Amino acid sequence: MKRRDFLKTSVVAGAALSLNFDGLQAALKSNTVTVEQVPDMVAVMGGEPEVMLDKALEALGGIGKYIKKGQKVVIKPNIGWDRTPELAGNTNPELIKALVKRCLAAGAEKVTVFDHTCDNWQKCYETSGIAAAVKEAGGIIMPGNDEKYYKEVSIPGGVTLKDAKIHEALVEADAWINVPILKNHGGAKLSCAMKNLMGIVWDRRFFHQNDLQQCIADICAWQKKPVLNIVDAYRMMHQNGPQGKSAADVAMLKSMIVSPDIIAIDTAALKLFNQVKELDMEAVGHIGKGEALKLGTTNLDKIKIKRIKI
Amino acid sequence: MKRTNYLKGLRVLLAILFFVPILLFFVDFAGALPSGIHKLLHAQLMPAILGGMVGIIVFQFLLALLFGRIYCSVICSAGVLQDIINRIFCIGKKKKKGVRRFKYHKPANWVRYSILALTVILAVLGFSELCLLLDPYSNFGRIATNLFRPVVMWSNNILADLLMKVDNYSLYHVTISTVSTAGLIAAIIALVLFIVLVIFRGRLFCNTLCPVGALLSLISRYSFFRISFDKEACTHCGNCEHTCKAEAIDSKNLTIDTSRCVDCFNCVSSCAKGGLQYRYQPVALKKEKAQPAVNATDTMSIGQTGANSRRSFLATGVTVAASLPVISAIADEVETCKGDGSCGNHKGKGKGHGQKKWPPLTPPGSISLERFKDKCTGCHLCVVRCPSQVLRPTGLEYGFDYMLKPRLAYISSYCNYECTVCADVCPTGAIKPLTKEEKMTTQVGIATFFINRCIVKTEGNDCGACSEHCPTQAVHMVPYEGTLTIPHVDPDLCIGCGGCESICPVRPMRAIIVKSNEVHKFVEKPKEEEVKEVEVDDFGF
Repeated sequence: MKRRDFLKTSVVAGAALSLNFDGLQAALKSNTVTVEQVPDMVAVMGGEPEVMLDKALEALGGIGKYIKKGQKVVIKPNIGWDRTPELAGNTNPELIKALVKRCLAAGAEKVTVFDHTCDNWQKCYETSGIAAAVKEAGGIIMPGNDEKYYKEVSIPGGVTLKDAKIHEALVEADAWINVPILKNHGGAKLSCAMKNLMGIVWDRRFFHQNDLQQCIADICAWQKKPVLNIVDAYRMMHQNGPQGKSAADVAMLKSMIVSPDIIAIDTAALKLFNQVKELDMEAVGHIGKGEALKLGTTNLDKIKIKRIKI
Repeated sequence: MKRTNYLKGLRVLLAILFFVPILLFFVDFAGALPSGIHKLLHAQLMPAILGGMVGIIVFQFLLALLFGRIYCSVICSAGVLQDIINRIFCIGKKKKKGVRRFKYHKPANWVRYSILALTVILAVLGFSELCLLLDPYSNFGRIATNLFRPVVMWSNNILADLLMKVDNYSLYHVTISTVSTAGLIAAIIALVLFIVLVIFRGRLFCNTLCPVGALLSLISRYSFFRISFDKEACTHCGNCEHTCKAEAIDSKNLTIDTSRCVDCFNCVSSCAKGGLQYRYQPVALKKEKAQPAVNATDTMSIGQTGANSRRSFLATGVTVAASLPVISAIADEVETCKGDGSCGNHKGKGKGHGQKKWPPLTPPGSISLERFKDKCTGCHLCVVRCPSQVLRPTGLEYGFDYMLKPRLAYISSYCNYECTVCADVCPTGAIKPLTKEEKMTTQVGIATFFINRCIVKTEGNDCGACSEHCPTQAVHMVPYEGTLTIPHVDPDLCIGCGGCESICPVRPMRAIIVKSNEVHKFVEKPKEEEVKEVEVDDFGF
């Protein structure tokens, strides 16, 4: 009897010890936030990926606003090419590592990372540094190399693309974060948040056969939207994209843009891209087509943007 | 008095040491094994001969001269495979129906030396297809590639699916894409042939069809160490004859045909009385010793078989030589019918009607189509080791003399820019080793763009998939109508890796197709542009 009592007490005590006042703190915080109003977009410049991520998340009200306890979370970077981080063909591994950690800290049940790569998937996962980064942070890196991993979903809002096979990690996820790298792109002209969704589908040939720009907009109309888009512009490939040839294709911008609005973020990213290379909004057809599908706005004056320089 | 016989145990042990790594190397679809294992394959005789590796050839010949055809029981993967088939067949059977089911047969010297001579002569004439079809190692390779490997991959998929349920992705799902109809048929025929021959006639393949076996038999009949009867110990029970897979022991006349003996030592083990011994006994020595013997039958018969087979070998040689004109005529025919494209099917990639069919793309390092045809034995090792699964065995679509040889097929993948795996592992040197730099500048073919099929022109839409996948930007996008851009090929930069062709969405015929160089060329490495510092301190929005 005494032992049972002791056990009970210790369990209660343990529970009490592990209690924290996150909820209370969040409530207190949100009090102040209501005064300040949460921005629709945050742009950060001048820091290392992890630092910029934290600044941006803080400005947006914390990761807890987007990722809840017990959720199955997917992070979708661009891991398309067998390229090292310096060549900016893939999303920055430091950013992915930090983001996986933040999601787990927010109480995510598991964090899965994948991409449907263009080059050999094992080489891409390895050379990009992303597989190692994810494992280090405690996330799961999942293959996307076989049709087996993809499940048919319908996209009622799509104009040309009405259904697609989407990676099952995403189909089963409670929340997902889209983490593209900003790049020049030979076909789509610009590769950013919207274009990154081409890596969640199995059959990309359909896209190229049936109006690439429209299909990119259509896939973004899939009902399970990313809770956040985080554009990695730490390094930016301004020419010879999406694969790139050498370091001469890369500009060091040390920037990051974060927003739930996928159209607005690509509009902003294009403007950032224009700081280095000229590219017409009209040429990047999928942004306008996405706006027509009411997926967001290209009018950046309409939304509240917070700009942070470090 | 039974003596401990360690020879058979040693033979089995050595065979395992050779066979298991080679087998695993073939079925390892994940590239998990070190590529150094390919060095074991350099001991294979047919690849060594075609690759002109004199050292290995001399070594193998010396080995056969010293110890007999140990090669056939230890080094030859197909030989060991046959022993395994035999072992499996014997499971659960009584000795009489199992291990002791064989009996002495006369050698089929005419057949084996005709085949050997034909193989050699055709190879000298530059038609190596018979080497490819009869080489035991290459047959083993095709069996492993097209039959064993898929089984391993299926098992992997079942396991991977189970592990996936608990979020374990250490195994991943794989698609079997390198098994072609021709490869599969060749493998099934070879395996069925092995099984049937082993069950009914033991190592008959090795002693009739196999040119490597026939070649080694010419040497092994003079081998210094050999198995022979100890007449005093022998009780004429016949156990040794019935255990001999090579059917080379005549227990009535107490003779052993050393030219067919594969040194498995089963007979030595089977004899409780020590009536058979493996010992130093050169032919000359044996004759001298045999002279005073009362019963000279064995010397006689050995002498006779020796003379017989030598005679038949010579006779065969002459006959085959006489039939040469016929063969070259046939070869010519094959040549012409390939030229006008009326033979073989046209299932390959669309090349337009009436257009002459483009020759196959050979792997980087093969130097030229002709050289590759001469040297490749179609073992499919490159096919299984290629991380991009871009090498595919052909059927008859490129003619009989390219049958079962691999080509670069840009169906759904392309040749990785910096990868040299196929060249690293090729046991014949048909694909010569390349450095990374050499690989990146070897032009196996040139991308050819058909603008009238391109989506940018036909549909008026953006695409650019080809340029996207081009590692050298030989295929780059140039302004077209409005904001559209269209691909353009710079032949001086293109290495023919097929990135463009593999991804082109146009069907049935793709808008960009790599045309092979029959002789590979070299291109300049793309010029490194200067890295410019870009200063950006404003978001632009």
